[in-house]
Amino acid sequence: MAGTNPAMTLESVGLENHWHESRGLFGPNLPVPMDYYLQQLAIGLSLGMVYALMAIGFTLIFGVLNVVNFAHGEVYTVGAFAGLVVISAFAPPLIVVLLVVVAVGALAGVGLERIAFKPFRRFSDEASLKSRAMREATLMSSLAVSIVVREAVEIGFGSQFQTVPLDRLLNSPISLGPVTIVSGDVIILVVAALMLGGLQYVLKRTNVGLSIRAVSSNPLGAKYVGINTDRTIIWTFAVGSMMGAAAGILVGLYYGAIFPSMGFIPGIKAFVAMVMGGLSSIPGAVICALILGFSESIATIFVPSVWADMVAYGFLIVTLIFFPRGIFGGARDRV
Amino acid sequence: MSDRLRPLLVVAAVLVLVLGVVPAVLGAFDRSYLYQVANLALIFVLLAASMHLVTGVAGLLQLGHAAFYGVGAYTAALLATDAGLSFGWTLPLAGLGAAFVAVLVALPTMRLVSIYFAVATLGIGQMLYLVMLNWVPVTKGPNGILITSGLTLFGYDLSRPASAYFVVAVVTLASLWVIHRLSHSYYGNALRSLREDDQCADAMGLDTVRLKIESFAVSGFFAGIAGALWAHTAGYISPADFSFPQSILILAMVVVGGLGSLPGAVIGALVLILLPEVLRPVGDFRNIIVGGVLFFSILLMPKGIIGEVSALDLVRRQLGGAWRGEGTKAGSEVGWR
Repeated sequence: MAGTNPAMTLESVGLENHWHESRGLFGPNLPVPMDYYLQQLAIGLSLGMVYALMAIGFTLIFGVLNVVNFAHGEVYTVGAFAGLVVISAFAPPLIVVLLVVVAVGALAGVGLERIAFKPFRRFSDEASLKSRAMREATLMSSLAVSIVVREAVEIGFGSQFQTVPLDRLLNSPISLGPVTIVSGDVIILVVAALMLGGLQYVLKRTNVGLSIRAVSSNPLGAKYVGINTDRTIIWTFAVGSMMGAAAGILVGLYYGAIFPSMGFIPGIKAFVAMVMGGLSSIPGAVICALILGFSESIATIFVPSVWADMVAYGFLIVTLIFFPRGIFGGARDRV
Repeated sequence: MSDRLRPLLVVAAVLVLVLGVVPAVLGAFDRSYLYQVANLALIFVLLAASMHLVTGVAGLLQLGHAAFYGVGAYTAALLATDAGLSFGWTLPLAGLGAAFVAVLVALPTMRLVSIYFAVATLGIGQMLYLVMLNWVPVTKGPNGILITSGLTLFGYDLSRPASAYFVVAVVTLASLWVIHRLSHSYYGNALRSLREDDQCADAMGLDTVRLKIESFAVSGFFAGIAGALWAHTAGYISPADFSFPQSILILAMVVVGGLGSLPGAVIGALVLILLPEVLRPVGDFRNIIVGGVLFFSILLMPKGIIGEVSALDLVRRQLGGAWRGEGTKAGSEVGWR
């Protein structure tokens, strides 16, 4: 915009190029070796896991509040920057970094809920909880918060890529037979699997999880049986944002790309996964996130890598037109 | 004051302000930067007004509006550079091109409602953005397009900042007049009924799908016009001008001003474009302040600066609107014919 509004014009271009930097080697007419497919599948798996971690945050929050949290991408950014600060200050082992990031993510989620969502929940009856006015107000307020957070990070750290200490990058190669993957693939897979397992445990085996499931199935009914819905909503934000923040630092260390607007593209991808999965189904969102990751990494074999994002949007449109309830969504009246 | 005279006076006052006072003030300072800001503000007034029609009046939450703006800008820029057409041709063609794309987008997505529609427009907006960014042979990709032919109309060169301002102002005012007549009329009432309950409107005999597609096409047309104005006045366009944050900025203008209120959309656009300029001395913090304004206006003024009801009241009293009655008999402007 000719320098009139620099922050509104996005630097996400950098991410798109970086995200698929080393891929897209084969043109349409060259034979593609089998190993390369396997390698792309491995990359797709870690990409999909990252999308899944992000998508869970969206899905949980949509489940309990029926609103879209547009600031979720900023939670991812905050997670990455928190990790970077911890690394450059204390250089602790990765597991400590992850724990700190998860804690920061939970705090960010709670703060986000207090600032952008709580003030708009003035009434607690079901009609106003699911009303359009409430949905649009929180959509805009979470957008406003995301602008403020992104700008604040940009003032604090500058808008360019941050330098990640080279020895902390998760890119040491590991050979598995014909396929070479990097340590980041394994770490992302393990951490994501642990977090998904932990989430399943929390949702199915603890009181907090029980109340989250109750509120998302019927907020008014949950209130009638004595569940503190406000506290449940805060818990939901905390849990969802933990996952988003962890995804942020993992991707930041995997690609060495940490910058203030890094959360935008993964946020949209996770959003697509949520819609494909049927908006409030967690297994649906995870499966669709994996499908998305695999198809993007496979697509880079056949088309230039800059077009890979088209896959996600194509999936989104096809899903909305042919499976408007999402592939794994429950029955709804109208979509 | 008679009810016939009042609209004329109000229109005359607006014309004097936009075509007389503002250029006089700009001329007094005579810096091309100020003209640029004024053009940008008018272009975003037009964008906010076009989004007002589809999001405020027809109630279709549109998250990809900047893409139609971009289609218009690229159509105008490519026609001006590759085909060598002058502004008199590129302006309408840019509008028609954007309207055509809007209809193509609308055909498959019109059966979706609420958040699903919003997500679909977001996805399509991103797809169009990717095309602008990556279809390098045509759009020159991230390098953008330089429009060197300037702004010529009927053989006159209007590229000087002062005359370019008049072109932008006249086109914007004319478009605003059309949007005003559309949204403050029986047709606007029909669109509002879609927003309130489209199944009910369908049962009352309105062709809801057609109305939605029409409103989408008209909104796309004016976004395309705005794009052509931007391409010709800025002289340079690149995909970053039409990315998702721009869509959000336009949505923010409509929401801050008041959903469903045309005067609100205009004021919202002026506030969100001019505020960062006024705050330029604050430097780095100005976008934070914009975010803060957005947040607090939603929190403290949920209806916007001018809410829909008071906006309709205002417009009916001051401008008459395109309802059949004179606007004096209570209830004479309700309903759909």
